[in-house]
Amino acid sequence: MNTKQLEKISKALFFISSLVSIGAVLLICIFIFSGAAPALGKIGIFKFLLGTQWKPNNDPQKFGIFYMIIGSIYVSAGAIVMGVPIGILSAVFLAKFCPKKLYVLLSQAVSLLAGIPSIVYGFFGMMLIVPFIAEHFSGNGNSLLAASVVLAIMILPTVITISENSLRALPSSYYEGAVALGATKEEAVFKVMLPAAKSGIVTSVVLGIGRAIGETIAVGMVAGNSNILPVSIFKSVRTLTVNIVSEMGYASDLHYDALIATGAVLFVFILLLNMLLGVLTKGGTKA
Amino acid sequence: MKKIIMAVLSCVIAAGSMAGCGTAAEKSQGQTTQKSSFDASSEITVISREANSGTRGAFDELMKIVVEENGQKVDKLYSEAVLVDSTDAVSSKVEVDKYAIGYTSLGSVTDKVKALTVDGIEATAATVKSGQYKISRPFVLATKGDGNALSKDFISFVTSNQGQKAVEEKGFIKLDGAKDYTSAGLSGKLTLSGSTSVEKVIEKLKEEYIKLNPNVSIEITYSGSSAGIKDVTEGKVDIGMSSRELKDSEKAVLTPTIFAHDGIAVIVNKENPLNGLTSAQITKIFTGEQRTWSGADK
Amino acid sequence: MRKIKSTVLRVLSYLAIAITFFALLSIVLYICVNGVPNLSLSLIFGKFSSDNPSMRFAIVTTVVLVILALVVSVPIGLGCAIYLTEYAPQTSKIVRAIRLATETLAGIPSIIYGLFGALFFGTALKMGYSILSGVLTVAIMILPTIIRTSEEAIKSVPDLYREGSFGLGAGKLRTIVKIIIPSAANGIFSAVILSVGRIVGETAALLFTLGSVAKMPSSIMDSSRTLAVHMYISTRDGGMAGRKVAFATGVILIVIVTLINIFTLYLSKKAGKMNEN
Repeated sequence: MNTKQLEKISKALFFISSLVSIGAVLLICIFIFSGAAPALGKIGIFKFLLGTQWKPNNDPQKFGIFYMIIGSIYVSAGAIVMGVPIGILSAVFLAKFCPKKLYVLLSQAVSLLAGIPSIVYGFFGMMLIVPFIAEHFSGNGNSLLAASVVLAIMILPTVITISENSLRALPSSYYEGAVALGATKEEAVFKVMLPAAKSGIVTSVVLGIGRAIGETIAVGMVAGNSNILPVSIFKSVRTLTVNIVSEMGYASDLHYDALIATGAVLFVFILLLNMLLGVLTKGGTKA
Repeated sequence: MKKIIMAVLSCVIAAGSMAGCGTAAEKSQGQTTQKSSFDASSEITVISREANSGTRGAFDELMKIVVEENGQKVDKLYSEAVLVDSTDAVSSKVEVDKYAIGYTSLGSVTDKVKALTVDGIEATAATVKSGQYKISRPFVLATKGDGNALSKDFISFVTSNQGQKAVEEKGFIKLDGAKDYTSAGLSGKLTLSGSTSVEKVIEKLKEEYIKLNPNVSIEITYSGSSAGIKDVTEGKVDIGMSSRELKDSEKAVLTPTIFAHDGIAVIVNKENPLNGLTSAQITKIFTGEQRTWSGADK
Repeated sequence: MRKIKSTVLRVLSYLAIAITFFALLSIVLYICVNGVPNLSLSLIFGKFSSDNPSMRFAIVTTVVLVILALVVSVPIGLGCAIYLTEYAPQTSKIVRAIRLATETLAGIPSIIYGLFGALFFGTALKMGYSILSGVLTVAIMILPTIIRTSEEAIKSVPDLYREGSFGLGAGKLRTIVKIIIPSAANGIFSAVILSVGRIVGETAALLFTLGSVAKMPSSIMDSSRTLAVHMYISTRDGGMAGRKVAFATGVILIVIVTLINIFTLYLSKKAGKMNEN
């Protein structure tokens, strides 16, 4: 075999391996959506999406995931409301105010937070956060609030790391210029740098939403999982992911298909978020 | 620069002391559990299992949570009930929640929760066996048709004296009139799948069986009764494990063998002063008709 | 007034980082305080039985799963990264499609991977609950991490190296194998480490593919549990003994994650030094 052939073959191999991810995405789409089709056909798309009752033990069974869609949105929103400000402020601290010696410790802490398995978060939430809410606020603690708090902690590393990187990526002239014009250090950071790093920060938020909406195990251990419309943050809530993971083992026939369909709905949410992310990062590179 | 370091240090110290408070709060919570400040007018936290769990299936039927209305089955479970997906999660939730009520396999009741009497009868192996304690269900091993030689041999072991000893050891109710088992010296791989409630006893049975039949390997997946029945029907595994009786449609293809009985204990937090409920009260609580503990002791 | 505002902002950022640190501290402390007393040699290395739910088999399964997933995923991911940086015209449609696909994969939650793995590897390819099915599922899951991180590493190799190699008459393949991959080795290695972290912490995707059999696996067609799955299952049906195991396993998981982090820090420091030279 001569060098030319070898070059050709290797190029082909590299090309093929880069097609694997496209293949994987296509396969995932095909299998999730075709797995969802029978249930959607039998139940009816609108009945499934807008139905408020999920009663696999009824005869005839009822499968509607409307409250769970709302639940997933509420829980992620709660996580964002709590996690994002803390995350961005932490990123500001790490990027601008942090003494060098402390930096190693704190940035390690952030990456450790990212590496802790979700089952650990769930267990922590179940044994400490849920009883804490029951003791000091109202309700039994298994609640939208508990799920949001756990998720807020879980999205912190995503938000912090990406926001910090985008703050650091800014040319130092932004900061120096602002200070030279008489701004205080804090004004330079919050009024000049943060707006300039907007696209990176928004990206971090979108990724955070993705992580929150897709989280399964930890949420299931603290959210209470009742299929109701949570009218207060102290009420129980059920998300799409929890619906899948907790019933998958027990399900058969239409129930099983309905759970795959739940996964498909979640998948559509994720794809929409990805598209949003695509638009945002594109805007970011232009600016 | 110094100022910054000071500020940061103070923050770290603050965080540290917060952590201290956290653990202190934890401790004080532990203490309140002993000191009893049970407020009977509080709302009951109803804890149930996920739909299709074998335990829930049996509980729902016996306590009339799922009822027939106009020829349709309707699940009346209180809509705000906390749903958990495993036996232990029920105990964990009850353990940390003063106002909680849940139900769990009799063999899984720990000393961190309190089991209630139902209609005045205590939940014990003896009362379940005598039929006085009403909330109970069978543990079933199901094979397709008669099953292969290995499954048959395993089932004959499970229902034998040696197998039933393990059943009793793990806190479940054994069968009467079991015979002795002698190993037929079989070899091969046996696969089982199904109910999470039977895990404790079936793991023990597996160990004992392998001691007698060292050439057999056994693989067990715990996925839930319905999944186990589905797996054995589809031929994915040799034996399905169920913690409820098989439905008629399932009996058409599968051969069930009951190998133990299990009581379902109704459990509450240790701080709850209540010691017993009637079945009617339990039904009311689990369907959401009765929302506070103050009504329950009447 | 401006000064007050500035101070408030600064204090807020101190507070934020304090909360972040406090959250981490309380989680780690809680798991360690409850877990460390339960750690024993027999629990870690003993034989699994219903009386001693040891994690030995789970450690073995975790190691096997991680190695096999890397064996599948690293060559593919690296190949893709090389294609994207060294061969493909940056604006072509196919490159855009590959990037879109990679980003999509990165955003898919593990529960969807689990569903897909069960439907495709488990049912359609008839692998059932097995290590193989779990391996292939997590291999796809870590692919985007490997592609992106190694792409960054390869991109950071100065063009001078390439030009030098070409100038000496080396072909493209030779340049890649002898010059680019060794220079990017640190970055590629951190991609591997990041992926290891992701696999070790994974539960949802493995429940439906690897299954949860508590047994030392004898072949890759057997079902077993990784440490994270073992911890999950232990919190479900093991009673008080199970809870002890859960905490103990949690400690082991945190230790592994910490080690991984220290290792990545070390690598990035090394890489930083290399860039300075």
